[in-house]
Amino acid sequence: MGEVIVITSGKGGVGKTTTTANIGAGLSMEGKSTVLVDADIGLRNLDVVMGLENRIVYDLVDVVEGVCRLRQALIKDKRYPNLYLLPAAQTKDKNAVTPKQMQELTSELVKEFDYVIVDCPAGIEQGFKNAIAGASKALVVTTPEVSAVRDADRIIGLLEANGLKNPQLIINRLRVDMVKRGDMMNIDDMIDILAIELIGVVPDDEHIIVSTNRGEPAVSNNESMAGQAYRNIVKRILGEDIPFMNLESDQGFITKLAKMFGFVKKK
Amino acid sequence: MGENAVVFKGTKEGLYIFIKEEMNLDNIKDNLNEKIKPAKRFFEGAKIVNFKGKRLTKEEFDELKSLVENDYGMSVLEEYSQDTDILSDKEEIKESASYEKLPYDNVIQDKVLIVRATVRSGQLIEFAGNIVIVGDVNPGAQIKATGSIIVMGTMRGVAHAGSNGDYGAFVSALNLLPAQIRIGDIITRSPDGLGIRTSVPEMAVVKRGMILVEPYLPNR
Repeated sequence: MGEVIVITSGKGGVGKTTTTANIGAGLSMEGKSTVLVDADIGLRNLDVVMGLENRIVYDLVDVVEGVCRLRQALIKDKRYPNLYLLPAAQTKDKNAVTPKQMQELTSELVKEFDYVIVDCPAGIEQGFKNAIAGASKALVVTTPEVSAVRDADRIIGLLEANGLKNPQLIINRLRVDMVKRGDMMNIDDMIDILAIELIGVVPDDEHIIVSTNRGEPAVSNNESMAGQAYRNIVKRILGEDIPFMNLESDQGFITKLAKMFGFVKKK
Repeated sequence: MGENAVVFKGTKEGLYIFIKEEMNLDNIKDNLNEKIKPAKRFFEGAKIVNFKGKRLTKEEFDELKSLVENDYGMSVLEEYSQDTDILSDKEEIKESASYEKLPYDNVIQDKVLIVRATVRSGQLIEFAGNIVIVGDVNPGAQIKATGSIIVMGTMRGVAHAGSNGDYGAFVSALNLLPAQIRIGDIITRSPDGLGIRTSVPEMAVVKRGMILVEPYLPNR
């Protein structure tokens, strides 16, 4: 029996879908059978980020409406052998599914997979209610912005009201240089407001944009700091005690270049 | 007993009842009852333009008319006339004659839906017949036709031609870069990565049980 984890944020554009894809790929790299469920009906993206868009024949709504069997709608990832995607429908909207149906769906999936990761849409309406319906654990993604933290706070309240106690926090797109200058909220400020356990900090990383556009999760990229951060989050989900990585990047262009040619020793 | 002694047929002018040539009046009446009774509610108030096919006598016409009007609440619009069937046959020939004389064998005569727009993500265009899009079809959009699909622009979405199982249907576009093409129940997807980009108009057809994409203007 596996675990159903919902990835949510309230605010849009903070990186829920990217986080879902990377955690899913990361869990799969660790040998866990994983299925990603895109609950963002009508604005699906997870299939694009995973590079699986052209494989979609049946979707979540087809499964719920009984047009096809659950197995038929699952898309096998092209890189990781035990990673699957259940895509959302694009030509429908959030009201095509009810929380009860989502609950039945995830309880069906959790029998066969170690992890069911649900990508929640932005907002607090029907789509959010659907996404959290079957979840037993929640990860809240936020960025170091006042508005994102405000929405995360609202979401944590709603999660707790719906019986999802102790959600964990992922801080995404942190820029250490800006925090140092005092131009960006720092981690402690956010923890102070949200008062939930931190499970990972993902630095702002160009690799993410490149990998998202290519449809290849950054988690497999050893060069990428964000990829490393996601690998650490995955290990923490699996129960390992991993210290938070040092985000101090002193890597200016020259240093990077020097490193590339071996003039500077790697730390 | 012919189960199909009578057939309801919708045309531009309205609903006709087609009667097979060799049927006698009792057969026709039995068959009419058989057809209408299970769907009485559906036919109630329906307007029949006229009877076609078998040439009826005035008495036969009146009897059938009173049957459908009195027993089933339908109405027959036109009066009895000797040559209704002959007249309509002539019209049909006229409609198709213009191209039947020409030496073409790939002619489709069917309904066509023409859409002058950019079809965007999340939009589904579904039609019983052929679909022509004068514009682009973006990723995430879906075009579904029982017949063929023609895109006068770039096709980047999902195209499903011959959705009733017609393998003779095709998908063509000025720039054919679809996420997926389905013809009948055959599905194919574009290769991963950017693939080869051609700028010639292409057409996807079923050959040997597979979907094949090829330029349809080989000399360009």
